[in-house]
Amino acid sequence: MKFKFPLNPILGITTEIVYALFIMLAAFLICLLTSLLK
Amino acid sequence: MIVKPSIIDIKNIGYYLGKIILGLGFVMIIPVIMGLALNEINPVLDFLITMSITLIFGLILTKLCFTDKELTWMQGMIVVALSWFVAMILGAIPLYLSGHWASYLDACFDAMSGFATTGLILVQDLDHLSFTHNLWRHLSMFIGGQGIVIVAISLFMAGIPGVLKMYVGEAREEKLLPNVIHTARFIWLVSFVYLLLGTIALGVIGLNNGMKPFNSFFHGACIFMAAFDTGGFTPQSQNILYYHSFAYEIATIVIMLLGAMNFKLHYHLWTGHRREIFRNIETSALFVMIMVCFGVVVFGLSQLNIYPSAITLFRKGFYQLISAHTGTGYSTLYSGQLIGQWNHLALLGIIIAMALGGSTSSTTGGIKMLRVGIIFRALQQDIKKIILPPKAIVVKKLHHIKEVFLEDKQVRSALSITQIYLILYVAGAVAGMMFGYPLLDALFESTSAAANVGLSCGITEPAMPAALKIIYIFQMWAGRLEFMAIFTLIGFFVAAIKGER
Repeated sequence: MKFKFPLNPILGITTEIVYALFIMLAAFLICLLTSLLK
Repeated sequence: MIVKPSIIDIKNIGYYLGKIILGLGFVMIIPVIMGLALNEINPVLDFLITMSITLIFGLILTKLCFTDKELTWMQGMIVVALSWFVAMILGAIPLYLSGHWASYLDACFDAMSGFATTGLILVQDLDHLSFTHNLWRHLSMFIGGQGIVIVAISLFMAGIPGVLKMYVGEAREEKLLPNVIHTARFIWLVSFVYLLLGTIALGVIGLNNGMKPFNSFFHGACIFMAAFDTGGFTPQSQNILYYHSFAYEIATIVIMLLGAMNFKLHYHLWTGHRREIFRNIETSALFVMIMVCFGVVVFGLSQLNIYPSAITLFRKGFYQLISAHTGTGYSTLYSGQLIGQWNHLALLGIIIAMALGGSTSSTTGGIKMLRVGIIFRALQQDIKKIILPPKAIVVKKLHHIKEVFLEDKQVRSALSITQIYLILYVAGAVAGMMFGYPLLDALFESTSAAANVGLSCGITEPAMPAALKIIYIFQMWAGRLEFMAIFTLIGFFVAAIKGER
């Protein structure tokens, strides 16, 4: 049987992790803004 | 007229319940193997005793109630409600036998907390619990997160007609694939791929932090299971604070967010539809609600000035928030710090986040983002109807995997479930207040139990009143199954007593 490289699942996982990192980045910017405004 | 349940109803329920119990019994082989490998003889005996009881009980039910009839919707719902209850009763036996729980009720509390992926604990001296029992605690979250019925379907219910009715009863109204068996297999595929990646990532971080190789990967697997299934158990009593690692916190935040995503979304992303993440109403609503709730928490914390730097605010404020919103319950604060140091506004932000929860068809609890999205869209539609000329036709669509026209029945269903959740949160809070706890503490703990979160403000402890333990067990059970299965079970008992033939 020919091995098929699971490109779509790998890109899917990457997309999900990037989404999580994006949320973290947005939250960190809020933290940064809060600490700068003090 | 209420119709009394027939013997066929009882046989069907007993047979499928027996099958699920057998599935649970077979899963107990995993801690047994682990215990044998580590030479933990007493814990192995605890599990062998429980496994025997479980398998015998399952076998008796399947033999006594043998049937080849298809399940009805009512029977399917009752099987689900009962199987979660029986799983708690049986899953608590090895915990109680370990001697780390003060009473069998406490062990039942932790077993339900595990299966319902809540994370509230009554265990004593957790730091000295055996690896075998610890694995079972986390495995119960992994089983409960994917669904006890999903385990049974995957093991030996393939091809049996009517399993869809049990699948739906486990608060999963969406099938990923036309066939329930394929859906169950995809759920396991996602879970095992992430289990492998998550364990490696957390294990490597643990090694880098100086943990022993076995401990780092054992902790990695346990933490992954409880984070991805948004449960919140940890092998150590100090929760995530035990690791004192920023990398560990980042990794667990990513895993918690992955666990809060709809399995249907996982399926579409994994099959090449990557733009779905930008268009889906649940991912958009989750992002917006996390930011709104975090805004409330930050505003509250900025009044106190306890976390002056951005990094500390992120590690303490955002971590608790994301843990609450995804329904995990992991914490980077010492027990009591949350209620002792945080002000009411910051705690309110956490309570709102806990109440809202993550996505539907995920492992999270709470109201969930699809319902929040539907309610907001419906509100938007109503406002537009008022503003626009009377002849204008307002058509409202939302994107959830595909374009969906918003209909009244969807809005009604979303509002009903939201309403029941709110009643459950408030009822638990009133019960807490009746036992003498302050309003905010009681609301915090009640929301945490009913939304299957697991963050605690200190009420949950072995010395708490037994009646409150039972109330929280019910809240965890009802919250995880999203009520329908529980209501059907109550209706079944009412029919059995008051019904006519």
